[in-house]
Amino acid sequence: MQINRRQILQGATALAGTATIGQPAFAQANPLQVGFIYVGPVGDFGWSTMHDVGRKRLEEVMGVAVKTTAVEAVAANDMERVATQLARQGHRLIFTTSFSFFQPTMRVAPTLPNVFFESATGTQTAPNVSLYNARFYEGRYVQGVIAARKSKTKTIGYIASFPVPEVVHAINTVMRGAWSIDPSMKIRVVWVNAWFNPGREADAARALIDQGCDVICAHTDSPAPLQLANERGVFGFGQASDMTRFAPKAHLTSSVNNWGDYYVERAKAVIAGTWKPGDVWGGLSSGMFRLAPFTNMSPEEVSEAERVRDAIATGRLHPFDGPITRADGTVAVPAGGRATDDQIRAMNYLYRGIDVALPS
Amino acid sequence: MTMFEAILLTIITASTPLLIGAIGQLVCERSGVLNLGMEGMMIMGAACGFAAAILSGNSYVGVLAAILAGMAMSLIFAILTLGLAANQVASGLALSIFGLGLSGVIGAPFVGAKRDQMAKLDLPVLTDIPVIGKALFGQDPFVYASFALVIGVWWFLARTKAGLVVRACGENHASAHALGYPVLKIRLLAILFGGGCAGLAGAYLSLVYTPFWSPGMTAGRGWIALAIVVFASWRPWRVLAGAYLFGGITILQLHAQGAGVKIPSQFMAALPYLVTILVLVIIMSRRGGQQTAPASLGTPFVPDR
Repeated sequence: MQINRRQILQGATALAGTATIGQPAFAQANPLQVGFIYVGPVGDFGWSTMHDVGRKRLEEVMGVAVKTTAVEAVAANDMERVATQLARQGHRLIFTTSFSFFQPTMRVAPTLPNVFFESATGTQTAPNVSLYNARFYEGRYVQGVIAARKSKTKTIGYIASFPVPEVVHAINTVMRGAWSIDPSMKIRVVWVNAWFNPGREADAARALIDQGCDVICAHTDSPAPLQLANERGVFGFGQASDMTRFAPKAHLTSSVNNWGDYYVERAKAVIAGTWKPGDVWGGLSSGMFRLAPFTNMSPEEVSEAERVRDAIATGRLHPFDGPITRADGTVAVPAGGRATDDQIRAMNYLYRGIDVALPS
Repeated sequence: MTMFEAILLTIITASTPLLIGAIGQLVCERSGVLNLGMEGMMIMGAACGFAAAILSGNSYVGVLAAILAGMAMSLIFAILTLGLAANQVASGLALSIFGLGLSGVIGAPFVGAKRDQMAKLDLPVLTDIPVIGKALFGQDPFVYASFALVIGVWWFLARTKAGLVVRACGENHASAHALGYPVLKIRLLAILFGGGCAGLAGAYLSLVYTPFWSPGMTAGRGWIALAIVVFASWRPWRVLAGAYLFGGITILQLHAQGAGVKIPSQFMAALPYLVTILVLVIIMSRRGGQQTAPASLGTPFVPDR
């Protein structure tokens, strides 16, 4: 069942908390009710879409044992209310599926001790808050390698959403990958201050292409930048889902998210009474995401990309091995070292050599 | 293609939906009706336009469907505010929320569907003129329509008797009524015109700007179009300036970022709004605080017998 934010809002005000969203009250006792809160519309064809694919997978695998509710296009400052509302309707497991939902989740979780929260990314757990995320940076490294091979102007264009560590370390990793092929690679970054605004994402892509970027990486949720790359005859990567069909001539690969298996695992844990707060950060090897089939690349380029991908998946190559030097010249990780997960997740600096202003 | 040319082309694309939406809204407001349902009508245009274009395989069918969808939405608003004399602000907000939701339902089967961008005009010799050739003669039909609308609306409001009557309804509906003009009928037509333009602007988004459908894809452009009408102090030519100012600043800030200009992106994103406030302050102070809006704007009219 899908409902949007406004319907839940109406339910909240009209029925003052007693609303059961479209389901009979007697059904509450038996199946585990699982709530999903999305930051974008289910139809963004990216991030939120893939969480919803995960939700459907959960229903498919668990059958009548679960009952799911999804609330889409929720603003971060509205999340606490939506979560409270879901909890009142009997949802005992709630996935808050955005980077921007972590703080609200931490605020609302202590007030609802009987509900288990799962926040997609965050910096700490709580007795009833788990963290889960995928190591998308592993895919970004491969993107950098491919971009360095495909770019003629030696300039990557990066459409960034917000200057949060998840995005900052992704920019760093793309360049790490690109420099491993060609140290002269450069990057231009545009911050669009939105996860989802197709028009502005497309405008940003236009601006970057006009400035000479010929491989476009997007860290936003819509296929607009890739579609524009296709129109303008440059290359690009898909984000969150396989976006090949939006850009048959431009698409190189997409990072395809897969949350369903994790959702099944966690729902089973709640039913079995074994749910514990955890902190899962799955990489390419975990199956939490994969790279879509490489397209518009020569066989040599494909085999190189596959080699790098497999090296990362098996742990032979780590994108955050030292030395890592910050843009201001100070050393973050010395040679021979490796950034810890906490360091990666708190990364608020760009590497030396990336000449880009980082909004504070 | 030079950088200047490239930026100019992008600015035109970014400004066109704002311009089309705002010019329709201007006519509506000059007749005395404030329709805050802009965002809802625009996104309904985007959804219905895209759906119709996919189903029929023809972009122009899509455009027509978008205009009709915008008009249908505005008709709901007209029934509420003219027929039932409901509060215009509340009805408009409701229309926005309604449109965002309904468009999601209509568009749901078309999420992920793909279409090619609508063809641009290409006049062999003219588009080859350096610098301005492509900008002036190589645009999609919407761009020309937007300019035609501005000229048409200006001419209508400033040069025709019918336009004078529309303005009279907006300035003082009681007097217009006393003179024997059918205020409600005139306002209905103005509302429908505004709705049609909003739908057309929506079609531009889903057929040209980013040719796919996705819920919420207008991303606040309807509200910006409303702001532009205020910015323009209800004058057609200033709407043109306002739309291009908004579009221009948006694009220039993206370019500045890409070029590595060290100004916080949040500040640059807020710049168009800061400029709007500034312009409003200037306009108001030059007029000594005198009202620039149509005097009857937002007040329901109930004809006495």
